[in-house]
Amino acid sequence: MGEGPATIGIIANPVSARDIRRVVANASNLQIADRVNIVLRVLTAVHSLGVNRVLMMPDRGGIRAMLSRHLGRERNLHHQFPAVEFLDMEPISTVDDTFQAARLLQASGVAAIVVLGGDGTHRAVVRELMNGDTGIPIAGLSTGTNNAFPEMRESTLTGMAVALHATGMIAPEYALAPNKLIEVSINEGQRHDIALVDAVISHERHIGARALWKTESLHSLYLTFADPEAIGLSAIGGMLQPVGRRDPGGLAVHLADDGASAGVLLRAPIAPGMLRDVPIAHWEPMPAGQAFTVPLQGGVVALDGEREMPFDAGDRVRVTLRENAFSTVDVARCLHTAAHMGLLRHPSQPHRRHPSWQATRSP
Amino acid sequence: MAGNPFPLSKAELLKAYRTMRTIREFEERLHVDFGRGDIPGFVHLYAGEEAAAAGIMIHLGDGDRIASTHRGHGHCIAKGVDVGEMMLEIYGKKGGSCNGKGGSMHIADLSKGMMGANGILGAGAPLVCGAALAAKYRKKGEVAISFVGDGASNQGTFLESLNLAAVWNLPAIFVVENNGYAESTSRDYGVAVDSYVDRAAGFGLPGITVDGTDFFAVYEAAGEIIRRAREGGGPSLLECKMVRFHGHFEGDAQTYRGPGELDDIRANHDCLKKFAAQVTAAGVISADELAPIDREALAVVEDAVARAKAAPLPTVADLTTDVYVSY
Repeated sequence: MGEGPATIGIIANPVSARDIRRVVANASNLQIADRVNIVLRVLTAVHSLGVNRVLMMPDRGGIRAMLSRHLGRERNLHHQFPAVEFLDMEPISTVDDTFQAARLLQASGVAAIVVLGGDGTHRAVVRELMNGDTGIPIAGLSTGTNNAFPEMRESTLTGMAVALHATGMIAPEYALAPNKLIEVSINEGQRHDIALVDAVISHERHIGARALWKTESLHSLYLTFADPEAIGLSAIGGMLQPVGRRDPGGLAVHLADDGASAGVLLRAPIAPGMLRDVPIAHWEPMPAGQAFTVPLQGGVVALDGEREMPFDAGDRVRVTLRENAFSTVDVARCLHTAAHMGLLRHPSQPHRRHPSWQATRSP
Repeated sequence: MAGNPFPLSKAELLKAYRTMRTIREFEERLHVDFGRGDIPGFVHLYAGEEAAAAGIMIHLGDGDRIASTHRGHGHCIAKGVDVGEMMLEIYGKKGGSCNGKGGSMHIADLSKGMMGANGILGAGAPLVCGAALAAKYRKKGEVAISFVGDGASNQGTFLESLNLAAVWNLPAIFVVENNGYAESTSRDYGVAVDSYVDRAAGFGLPGITVDGTDFFAVYEAAGEIIRRAREGGGPSLLECKMVRFHGHFEGDAQTYRGPGELDDIRANHDCLKKFAAQVTAAGVISADELAPIDREALAVVEDAVARAKAAPLPTVADLTTDVYVSY
């Protein structure tokens, strides 16, 4: 990014972690007040490291309203915050808000986008960014149900890493990491979408309440990475054959119709608080660029945990893994680099010392 | 096209569509008749919100109870209250659901488990705690559902009821119909924490937010919540994000709406259009099968209006009937 004023974007989904898994699986609900607190901590952190302007997605789910009240209070208290501007868009409380915000942030040339949400929210942001091909990186914060893609991390630290990248204190080759994704195409691109973690094929054929948690309906899973520490359907792959986020290739898992015909019966945490026995027929590596044709005649493709693409018998569904598809801010690497290079050490300047510092450390 | 992809049979899908279409015709007709001055009192129309009533009530039987709001016609129709008796009631005529003495905001039919629309905001929630307590003692797996708007969810009665239902583990369900406006006040200005699921969490209850304009989203979420309550899993909250086609009340100039907002919601967020598009695209029901339902719903409403207009008003002698109930 070089020198000069640094601007970042924030997309905070007010309705992630609100779906049916609260009732069927005791999944947690991150309250609006906590989401606002997370945003406030990001704002403080990025401002402390030189980001003076932040563009935010407006919403009608309570975050804008509460954040605005908080920022007013913080100003009264003379606390330091960057200028926060809400994007010029009329939110309609659907995923289209996320798409539009990502589009506007991309057009405004922000250095990075901090995303608050679960796998689904991150998928929506990346999907829109892929259309623009500007390579803007995202930094994810987990506020969803399944958070396989975004990291569980204190938002202050994520904010610091984003600022280190946005201000150019750490060069992109150190600050950013490449990510894989899965492309789903129905009838040679007639319908097209992506998944960041899992594209799951289910026998269910309607969208309904979106979340997918009935294992008896599962047909197959296509995974960008399979982490034994992850929650959600990708955990099935994680428990079978782990594949790292940065490893080449992905994993395809084919389920059996029932336990009797299964080669393996695997117990996996398919949703928060929900371990299920999943009958596995077989699994195989998913090399990048190789299209896998889904043999099921009629069903639905769930992308990162949500039913999105119903298809009928005769529809041709293909899934393909892509490597180096988009960038994320590598928070751990940024912070380690900052420590290693001493980026956050300031030269000792007597006239800028705090009086108490002078009193105790004077020669 | 092979088979039916929906979790409902074709007959159930047609029933759901008929319920929603009947509500729509009923409300659009009241919009016209009230504007002409034919109807006494006040009406608050449910048009635009039909998927919530239909998607929830399709899971219920007559033994399950609901308490409605000032915007209650849709809940009544979906719960099975007779449309003719409702129209008589709204016209203030003898033979109405409450013999013409209640009007729009006081339609009740206990034989259908409909405990009443309610002119007092937030008043349904405590009633539902009572009904749910009764259901818990009866042990027949019945549930009680309270409807409340985003505005009335600020009432103490609502919050107290969440607490009571939680500590008594009642088969009570709290549905927040969030149409974005408390009368004319956007929720941005009237609700400190604009998430009703967060309010439930404050009392340790699970909550779900769904697109209330998508019948199938409501249907699936409501099904899980109701099953949980029937089986002893206790109370839950369901927030349905929805749109209302008309003002808070009939005659409301709606100057608080954004430019083009009403055109947009009718064009892009009409639950009936969405439902029809989904079932026809899946090839389960054809447009030719929906059209007769549209005509029949219209005919039912026209017949109800004709009979309501012709019916007699209550007399002075009726003033002293239905005042006390013998137990």
